[in-house]
Amino acid sequence: MKKLLLFVTLLSFFISSFAVTITMTAGAVGKELELTNIQIQRFMEENPDINVQILPMPNSSTARHDLYVTYLASGTPDPVVLMLDVVWPAEFAPFLVDLKPDYDYFGFDGFLEGTIKSNVVDDKIVAAPWFTDAGFMYYRKDLLEKYGYDAPNTWNELYNIAKDISENEFIDGFVWQGAKYEGLTCDVMEFVHSFGGEIIDNGKVVVDNAENYDKTVAALKFMKKLIDDGVTPKGVTTYMEEEARRQFQNGNAVFMRNWPYAWPLANASDSPVKGKVGIVPVPMGDNGRHSATLGGWNLGINKNSSKAQIDAAKKLVKYLTAYDQQVERATYAGQNPTMKSAYSDAKIKEEAPFVVDLYDVFISAEPRPVTAVYSEVSDAIQRYTYGVLTGQYKAEDAVTRMAKELKQIVGN
Amino acid sequence: MAEKKYKKSDIKLAFWLILPAVVAIAITAFIPLFKTIIDSFFKFTLIPDFPREFVGINNYIDLFKDSRFVESFWNTMYFTVFTVFLEFIIGLVTAVILNASFKLRGIVRAAILIPWAVPTAISSQMWRWMYNDQAGIISNILYTLGWIEPGTPILGTPGYAMNAIVAVDVWKTTPFVALLLLAGLQLIPSELYEAARIDGASKWKQFTTITLPILKPTIAVTLIFRTLDALRVFDIVYIMTGGALGTETLSVYNRTILMDRIFSPRGWYGYGSAISVVIFLIIGVFSVIYIKTMKLKID
Repeated sequence: MKKLLLFVTLLSFFISSFAVTITMTAGAVGKELELTNIQIQRFMEENPDINVQILPMPNSSTARHDLYVTYLASGTPDPVVLMLDVVWPAEFAPFLVDLKPDYDYFGFDGFLEGTIKSNVVDDKIVAAPWFTDAGFMYYRKDLLEKYGYDAPNTWNELYNIAKDISENEFIDGFVWQGAKYEGLTCDVMEFVHSFGGEIIDNGKVVVDNAENYDKTVAALKFMKKLIDDGVTPKGVTTYMEEEARRQFQNGNAVFMRNWPYAWPLANASDSPVKGKVGIVPVPMGDNGRHSATLGGWNLGINKNSSKAQIDAAKKLVKYLTAYDQQVERATYAGQNPTMKSAYSDAKIKEEAPFVVDLYDVFISAEPRPVTAVYSEVSDAIQRYTYGVLTGQYKAEDAVTRMAKELKQIVGN
Repeated sequence: MAEKKYKKSDIKLAFWLILPAVVAIAITAFIPLFKTIIDSFFKFTLIPDFPREFVGINNYIDLFKDSRFVESFWNTMYFTVFTVFLEFIIGLVTAVILNASFKLRGIVRAAILIPWAVPTAISSQMWRWMYNDQAGIISNILYTLGWIEPGTPILGTPGYAMNAIVAVDVWKTTPFVALLLLAGLQLIPSELYEAARIDGASKWKQFTTITLPILKPTIAVTLIFRTLDALRVFDIVYIMTGGALGTETLSVYNRTILMDRIFSPRGWYGYGSAISVVIFLIIGVFSVIYIKTMKLKID
């Protein structure tokens, strides 16, 4: 017995001296972390020569960004695998390993186009899409039925339905994210796109083209009108995702724009609106289109890590983004697949049917501008649109000034 | 003042005892400060191999053309003047009350420190919810009183947002001011008041001729502490509004430049360093003004 123990100990020493240790940043709460732990455990069993350590990250995206900035700027080899918000790849590209040479290894052909596009920087692919997100319109099925409405397809329909029901039920009509933060940029993008406008296209500022200018102004005016006419509560200028969700989930709003994470929560057993919620694509304006802003997270690999670590990291990234793990993630943690084929998986169809129903939205979700100066771009969009929402700027002036500032930032 | 003579061996010992502290301060304070000052004369970003371009004082010139910087400067001044003034007045009154003897004084003294003991990040989040337009208790009180129109988001309305933040800081830091002033009050010998009473001085007269003059050094230290803290206010603003609606202070703007744009190819790092240096200088100027006007001796 003693001999066996000694043997096992020696063996494990022997193996561990050849094992490579890699660190990976990951979400730190709830089912997301649970599942990451389970999957990584399995991965290590299959690859005994690789040891993975998870570094749980703060919940707020900004806080994660600030942490990564300190890691990367100091040039440390850790963390090896970085979980990246969909808008960061361009900014962090100088610190990330190019995955394009391994295009077939990762099977990038099978991924949703938008999720890959958001990781392409200077013809490199700097991260692998892990799970994806898109903006949706939630509505109160029961209330729309009661008043004899179908789910809205256009903004005008939504406006009329929301106004009618909210006035009769004494609740809010339509809540969204209007505080000055990244979420506002996501919402603004949807409004502008759904009115047929465009702010930045292919790295060029196009918002001041006659056509885009009018449509963008119309979109911002519509946002302001929602607030002025009481369809959206004035408080929306302080709402982030959670404020909007609380409002909707407590039964105090007819419509809500939010990410898919709100779906399981709105239908949880303790939710007052359980079973009364429907979900449709974000409505469109006149001559516009349905638009959803692309969200989600990617896995990138730190360039400063050793060759052995980078090779091990590639294996890990491939494993985590593979079909089986993606399906598991969608059904277990409600994080949606980036792989096209996963949407026709029988298990997902059964356990998360709404994901499958909304495949069209996921597949056509639009990335925010992919540029190394994204945070400046978003900052400018937030400042001017927030100025319109709070009545400090007229929509026309805001768009003119925003265009001017964006051109300075992007450099054209 | 006569210089005291020290033994040579004492001086030697003192040198070795002080050395670790001096080295620690140099590493953690002076070197970064020096590096920041140097950085502020360059245009660069923290991407590897990014060219470091010497721009002289251009970053500083640009600061004055940057309307956002100028605005954040005035926002910081507004915040500083109002918080320090209110905290000092309310804190002084509180300290005088707490200096009197009454039942359960110990418990009351401890209890008023609670707002100060709660970490700022947590109390800011707490207040953010209290200002919420739907569930917030403060909003609802103000709506009911008819002071503001129902449904108005306090943190989302120009003009209200900064004052709401000032209120949180006053709530949080007044106990600290009161505590410092209370310590000063307790140093005043009670015989002075007795003598004044015998001479027939009124309470107010006692306060202005005994309490205030003796308390002056404490007041000076308190005001310096508070002003310097207020000038670099960050967490309350960052959490409550993120700098929206005229609440962006110098530190919040500086964070945007240094952290959000750290890898921007447009090269903001030197500019951000320049803002840091200016914040440092502003705080320095305020300290000197205080020390001069209060004729405070710093030994």
